[in-house]
Amino acid sequence: MKIGIKVLFLSMVLLLSAGLLFATGQPDGDSSSVVIKMGDNLPDRTVGLGAVAEAINEEFIAMHPEVSFEVESYQDQPYQQKIKIYATAGQLPDIMKYWSFSTLLKPLVDSKLVVPLDRAALSDLPWMPGALEGNVYGGELYGIPLTADFWVVFYNQAIFDKVGVEVPKTLEEMKAVSAKLSDAGYIPAVTDGKDGWPLSISYDNIFWRVTGDYSLMGDALAGKKPFTDPEFVEAAEIFQELFNTSGVFRNDLVTTDYGAARNLFGQEQAAMYIMGPWEMGMASDENFSESFRSNVRAARFPVLAGDEDQMDNLVAWYGGNYIVKSGSKHEDLAMEYIQLYAEKYADIMWDLQAGFPAQGIQPKADDNQLAKDLLSISASATATSGTTALDMLTPAFKESHQKLCKDLAAGIITPVQFCESLDQALQAALK
Amino acid sequence: MKKLSIGQIIIFFFLILIALAQLFPLFWLFNYSLQKSSNLFGPKLLDIPVDPQWGNYAKAWINGRIAQYLTNSVIVVAASIFFILLFSFTIAYACSRMQWKLRKVVYNFVLLGMVIPIHTTLLPNFIWFSKFGLIDTHMSLIIPYTAFFLAFSVLMFTGFLHSLPFAMEESAYLDGAGLGTILLKIVAPMVKPGFVTVGIMAFLNSWNEFIMANTYLASETKRTLPFSIIRFEGEYASDYAVQFACMVIVAVIPIALYFIFSKRIIAGVTAGSVKG
Amino acid sequence: MNQLFTSKKNILWLVGPGVLIMLFAIVAPILLSVYYSLTDWSGFGAKTFIGLANYKEVLFQDPTFWRSLYNALLLLVVTVFIQNVLAFILAAVLNQLKEKYSLVLRTIYFVPAILTVVVITKLWTNMMNPNYGMINKLLGAVGLEAWQHSWISDPKTALGAVIFITVWHGFGWALLFYYSGLTTVPQELHEAAVVDGAGPFKRYTAVVIPYMLPVIQAVIIIDITSCLKQMEIILLSTEGGPGNTTQFVAYHLYEQAFKFSRYGYGNAISIVFVIVALTITMLAQKYLSQANEKL
Repeated sequence: MKIGIKVLFLSMVLLLSAGLLFATGQPDGDSSSVVIKMGDNLPDRTVGLGAVAEAINEEFIAMHPEVSFEVESYQDQPYQQKIKIYATAGQLPDIMKYWSFSTLLKPLVDSKLVVPLDRAALSDLPWMPGALEGNVYGGELYGIPLTADFWVVFYNQAIFDKVGVEVPKTLEEMKAVSAKLSDAGYIPAVTDGKDGWPLSISYDNIFWRVTGDYSLMGDALAGKKPFTDPEFVEAAEIFQELFNTSGVFRNDLVTTDYGAARNLFGQEQAAMYIMGPWEMGMASDENFSESFRSNVRAARFPVLAGDEDQMDNLVAWYGGNYIVKSGSKHEDLAMEYIQLYAEKYADIMWDLQAGFPAQGIQPKADDNQLAKDLLSISASATATSGTTALDMLTPAFKESHQKLCKDLAAGIITPVQFCESLDQALQAALK
Repeated sequence: MKKLSIGQIIIFFFLILIALAQLFPLFWLFNYSLQKSSNLFGPKLLDIPVDPQWGNYAKAWINGRIAQYLTNSVIVVAASIFFILLFSFTIAYACSRMQWKLRKVVYNFVLLGMVIPIHTTLLPNFIWFSKFGLIDTHMSLIIPYTAFFLAFSVLMFTGFLHSLPFAMEESAYLDGAGLGTILLKIVAPMVKPGFVTVGIMAFLNSWNEFIMANTYLASETKRTLPFSIIRFEGEYASDYAVQFACMVIVAVIPIALYFIFSKRIIAGVTAGSVKG
Repeated sequence: MNQLFTSKKNILWLVGPGVLIMLFAIVAPILLSVYYSLTDWSGFGAKTFIGLANYKEVLFQDPTFWRSLYNALLLLVVTVFIQNVLAFILAAVLNQLKEKYSLVLRTIYFVPAILTVVVITKLWTNMMNPNYGMINKLLGAVGLEAWQHSWISDPKTALGAVIFITVWHGFGWALLFYYSGLTTVPQELHEAAVVDGAGPFKRYTAVVIPYMLPVIQAVIIIDITSCLKQMEIILLSTEGGPGNTTQFVAYHLYEQAFKFSRYGYGNAISIVFVIVALTITMLAQKYLSQANEKL
């Protein structure tokens, strides 16, 4: 017994000294090696945008063998929180994927936590019109955009064929189709309802469908038009019906997170998945069955019955920018990395069919069906929205917007309450 | 063997039912960790694996970085336990055996730590620790785990010390022993159950903590075991079975320790709560 | 003797390190928190002093704060009046069993308490998942299809579900504490009560429970702190939703600081929270020791 305690004590002391060794910091390795810290929202490095980042990293290491990357990845929301936490602690990674919006990038720019990039050198690349401008603050360019994002409905053609229904073009059709899909044992549609932003973007989309004029949203955000006006209430009513009572979504929507939603769709449990083209990589994700991969397609967000001419109004924005922290020990390397990324990524991304780059692309003969669908949706767009409402103002407004959309989708608040609370959040943000 | 009365049978039935409620969820988890992910969606309550997918465990071990995170957890937990035992024992000794003016004040100050919710320091400590370069080191966890568990441990040790006679220390002193010798050779062995109890509780407390680890640690090389499970939320979210396998591994480690030492643990906690 | 046991140097060595670490990791941050709570700091960048504006907002304009406090108190009530009562009854039953059965059962009942909160939460959110979770399948199997639903997404059941997970996790501790308390009740007390003609129920209410009051008091004090600080389960399951139905104070302040980028405001919640926790604990202690003395 006595020996037992001694052994216990001794082993603790040993562990403790080991702990202190670890705690005082890892040895830096030999002086010739350089570790660049990166942060992004791409935990999956084998497929999609994560694979693109890995490919660029490899190319960069080929040019600079002394460099190694230490990448930290989380899902969107935890990642954004982490970056805010690191900004507070002065621990930002050297290079980060972030978003150009006033809710996210602007606070970092204002606090001088990120450095301007070489605008002249980067501007020569074949960016889509307006792609860089979102990253410009005070005349300086702070980030390069990665993807052209828009809001679509992914669907599983095999499930629609099996149940014998057509892919819905209107919200009314979506409801009717969903009833049949449900009867056949499928979840009609899923999205990431836990994080809220997909709901917020959907609200924008519905609002546009209702009014036919997205500039009204801009007026409201500028404080020129109250959110309590009837068109916002009407959009909220349609939104609530779609997400809460129509049977298109299951009632666990607001606790279904990104991974779970994607999974339900990929495991062929759900027939539709509302998300953006950064999910193009699903068609080559080995985690999913062959039947899923060859049957995944994309369609435009449905319109109201009789408004079919609005089909090509596309909620679209530029997303996922790369930025460089200020005061980085390896700022030169980071700048070089950004330049390489900007030059190479669009081709790699399209080759891997991983997403929709913010630079012009050449369609290939062997593009998969999903890529073709997305390309045609973006090519046929007659009007685009630009950055969505939730990202136009302050971080607090963004959180409120998401929360209110979740509450509306969960049936906790009425459309009128939604609009009133949104107006309050707006007033607070405009102050 | 005497016959059980109906009342006793009913009581036993309920006792077993409660035991099932405690264990069945774990069994369910284990069962589906051996399946393919798609089996989970079947209509059956339990789908006994005909073709057990042990590969899920290999994947979970590697992709969950369990070896590395486990090492980190052990370092953090062991160091926390060490400091907690050391400091709470000495404080309890000074407060219950020695004569000094501020004794009551210090004792009450230490006990106050029990009442302050640990998460109220979550935000300020983040800034505070970063001023000392502690963020993203294991010390950023060891320090608060120790600080917050001292109150409870001091209370425990005080309870144990009160039941000890003073005579042994007195005679050791008269034999010329110093304070260190008295503490280590005389008092510590006598409150051995106290060390076991406090050690176990400190283990469970630090082992279970997640939110500080989540906020203060950044690098892959520093993270603790619960992050294995979190990893699967993003990267391998599409593979439920591997996630389940990872959860089973993370759960099995303390369960195994627990069953090996269960008699000691149950006895230790029992002794502790009586004294406390 | 006196020299050794009154030496200031010795006492300093014994008490110093522990007290220092508490000053460093508890007192200093709370003072720092007071400072930040008077600013509108977002966590980085410039900050301006705004006096007590944050406190005004917490107390008068933040229904979420009150909701989260209410939820924490509700959790406390459930813990004390349901979990503790069940644990006490079970402990009393175990105390009457033969040691070998009792030990096996105690060992099993304590298993959830040793699992980390991440496993517990992920396990139960999976179990409650409407698409593949065991709970709904179980309800279906016994013909209660009507009860099947999405437990943690429905505003009506979300709080209940979260409280259930918390109570399930903590049950083993309560049981063990009460069990060990019961083993200290002297056999003579039981016998004397039997001689007085008390039945089993009367025996417990009249003799055992009064004897156990100090243990009950200790358990309740521990419950207060652990219920008030509840947040991990929330962070990992509902994030306070749907609506604010499952908000808890600790999560609310975390969310304000790191999601809403209102670090100063989060610190104000923190300070109010410390005061509330101290007040509740003191009231409970005072009330419980009064009850103790009366008997």
